[in-house]
Amino acid sequence: MPTVSQHIADWFVSLLRGPLAGLRGADPVLGLALVVLAALVLASALHKRLRLPRLLGYLLVGAVASPVVLGLLQRTDIDPWKPLIDLAIAALVFELGTRLRPRWLLDNPWLAASSALEAAMAAGAVGLTLMALGAPAASAAAAAALAAATSPVITMAALLEARPRGQVAERLLMLSAINSVLAILAIKLWPVMAHAQGLSAPDSLTLLANASVVIFGSLLLGLACGMLLDRLGRLHDEAATMPVLQLALVILAALLAIAWGLSPFVTLLVAGMTARSRMRHRLTVEPYLGSAGAALTVMLFVSFGVLSTLHEWHSLWPWVLAIILARLIGKGIAIFATARPSGLSWRQATALTLALQPMSSLSVLLVADSFGWRTQLPGANASVIQALLIATTLMQLSGPLWTLWPLKHIAAEYGDDDDPSNEGERRGT
Amino acid sequence: MATTMTQATRVNAVALEAFTPSQPLTLGVELELQLLDRHDFDLTPRAQDLLRELSGHAGEWDVKPEITRSMIEISTSVQRAFTPLRDQLRDLRGQMSRAARKLNIAISGGGTHPYQHWSEQRIFPTERFHYISELYGYLAKQFTVFGQHVHVGVANGDEALWLLHALSRYVPHFIALAASSPYVQGVDTGFHSARLNSVFAFPLSGRAPFVLTWDGFGQFFDKMTSTGVVQSMKDFYWDIRPKPEYGTIELRVCDTPLQVDKAAALACYLQSLCRHLREERPFEPAEDDYLVYTFNRFQACRFGLDGDIVDPKTKQRSKLRDDIIRTLARIEPHALDLQALGACNLIRESLTEGNDTSWLRAQRRLHPPMAALVEAAAARWMG
Repeated sequence: MPTVSQHIADWFVSLLRGPLAGLRGADPVLGLALVVLAALVLASALHKRLRLPRLLGYLLVGAVASPVVLGLLQRTDIDPWKPLIDLAIAALVFELGTRLRPRWLLDNPWLAASSALEAAMAAGAVGLTLMALGAPAASAAAAAALAAATSPVITMAALLEARPRGQVAERLLMLSAINSVLAILAIKLWPVMAHAQGLSAPDSLTLLANASVVIFGSLLLGLACGMLLDRLGRLHDEAATMPVLQLALVILAALLAIAWGLSPFVTLLVAGMTARSRMRHRLTVEPYLGSAGAALTVMLFVSFGVLSTLHEWHSLWPWVLAIILARLIGKGIAIFATARPSGLSWRQATALTLALQPMSSLSVLLVADSFGWRTQLPGANASVIQALLIATTLMQLSGPLWTLWPLKHIAAEYGDDDDPSNEGERRGT
Repeated sequence: MATTMTQATRVNAVALEAFTPSQPLTLGVELELQLLDRHDFDLTPRAQDLLRELSGHAGEWDVKPEITRSMIEISTSVQRAFTPLRDQLRDLRGQMSRAARKLNIAISGGGTHPYQHWSEQRIFPTERFHYISELYGYLAKQFTVFGQHVHVGVANGDEALWLLHALSRYVPHFIALAASSPYVQGVDTGFHSARLNSVFAFPLSGRAPFVLTWDGFGQFFDKMTSTGVVQSMKDFYWDIRPKPEYGTIELRVCDTPLQVDKAAALACYLQSLCRHLREERPFEPAEDDYLVYTFNRFQACRFGLDGDIVDPKTKQRSKLRDDIIRTLARIEPHALDLQALGACNLIRESLTEGNDTSWLRAQRRLHPPMAALVEAAAARWMG
């Protein structure tokens, strides 16, 4: 005999079935717009009631709308939005570039060592673990290269939301930029290894030359764009139009990089660094490059949610778990090994290790024509890549928590609940 | 909670400790410094990182936390002359700057941060700072201002109080010479030292009571502790206060200068002045000296070296800059004996070049963004 709660559940499902069926048949652009609206409402509720990051709300709504849960949107439905989503990523990467001070790596050589070591250790640990579990070496190497990167987009957006101030937040920005660049470089060089394993690929010298062109070309394009922003900024010295100018330059840099087969990520990162170095305090960068960028960021995170995949989870979970744990251990060992000489306390090292965990498909996202980015790794073992995608889904959906929880509760870089002078604020007086 | 703390204060109230004699005219300098974010040059709560990094420093100086996490306080060892004091401050600056660069932060002098918001400051986690935060509320965070304190050794408590009151006539000199806080919350206040306005908000700030014997001061202290208003000498935020445990008087009106050489020069100017007062006794301090004290103090804060000063004895009004020039001439023999002529020369130069507030305003005209101004000030301090 059905219970009262079952009756309520059935009634709720029947209530949803009508609108959901309608939404499934709607234009994908309209569908995504509606999902973005729902994301804003849920994110606000999560933030107010549970003090969870808004970004988490956007990601969860995207995931609920994805084929994994309700199937309101398919992965391919996102493709028409790709130029706007690319722009949102580009704005965040440019902003990340403006926050980096390369000189810090010279002032603190242990930080430079820490950056290289944590990327290498994460990749090494993931690659070796996958091989130990029976994955083909070339495919394990591809997964390892991608697993080295921390999502710079989640990192940057989470830091913009919480505005922490401290050693861990600053290192997080620097390390996520460096490990993403290293991941891109590794992916560019991956076909060399694939070739050695007998997979179809052009010869090694061509690949090396191509990788060098991509990296140095991206550097030069980024430098040129940063310098152009400086020149235009001098001609057009009005604070009100500066975000528009920055947005235009970001679009230009990203489009040129894509058109010339360069790395938009490296280009925009270098453009941001160059602009900061040349313009100094004349360069004021509004979060997300202003309100338009903020709106695009919501769409970006909803899209990340929609791209979620748990396909073949039942058979691939040991590899997924291995990727996540090996990455955590690899990064952790490197961070702890260099913590004290680089000026971190053990608590801060713990916080940094955890905050480095959000994973990213960004390293290939910007260069792909569509979100079906497996095509970037021709010949790679489908199961390994699917395991990596599932791991990325999990570490992306939980990404804002990985970033912000340790910053608040371990490193204490924002929030001040133990401060007695905040008593009035806490009482709402 | 505040009531509980006051009750606890009454129970724990202790008598004034005995004045520890120290070698007259020895010096100690404390500087409160700003910790800055390298990106936007706003204050950054990184004191714990820097303290940890400096925990194994080589040097006789000390470094410790201040009330908010964006501040740090350094103090020299006991010094006797200008050159060793300046050298120790330079060594300290060098070691601190290296540690700060490693942590991607900048350090600066200056009495205020030009655009920090007091509400964003975070109290350093110690029992005393939490007590102050609880007692004074938002005033504690507004106390994110940065001063130089100079300790001068005295032989006994009576001499300390005599010298403290004799020096009151010269307090405007130090305010004007050290002034480096024209900007507060993003605007030019028009003051040369706006920092002292923040200090003035505290109920136990201003001038010390006119008592000339240590026994008399002990009676005053007992009365104050019996009211529960104060717990220890630390609760008095006077411009000059006796420090019985060190055997010194402590001058607290100076903004932290933008350069350590200036900090050393101010300390040795005070040292020479104290020697002049001790040995020549040019006047006897009196309660009526304080009739003009607040006026003179305001003039120095507001107009710096261009302010007026009224001599409490002769009632004559003159320019502060001229009064300092005359004072330098009077104390020169003492500066010579104390090997502090270099300090006096630096003070003399700053009379023509202007104080740090003048430098900051000139920089602001050259580089309009406030962040550029703070970066320039940090570069001046870090070298």
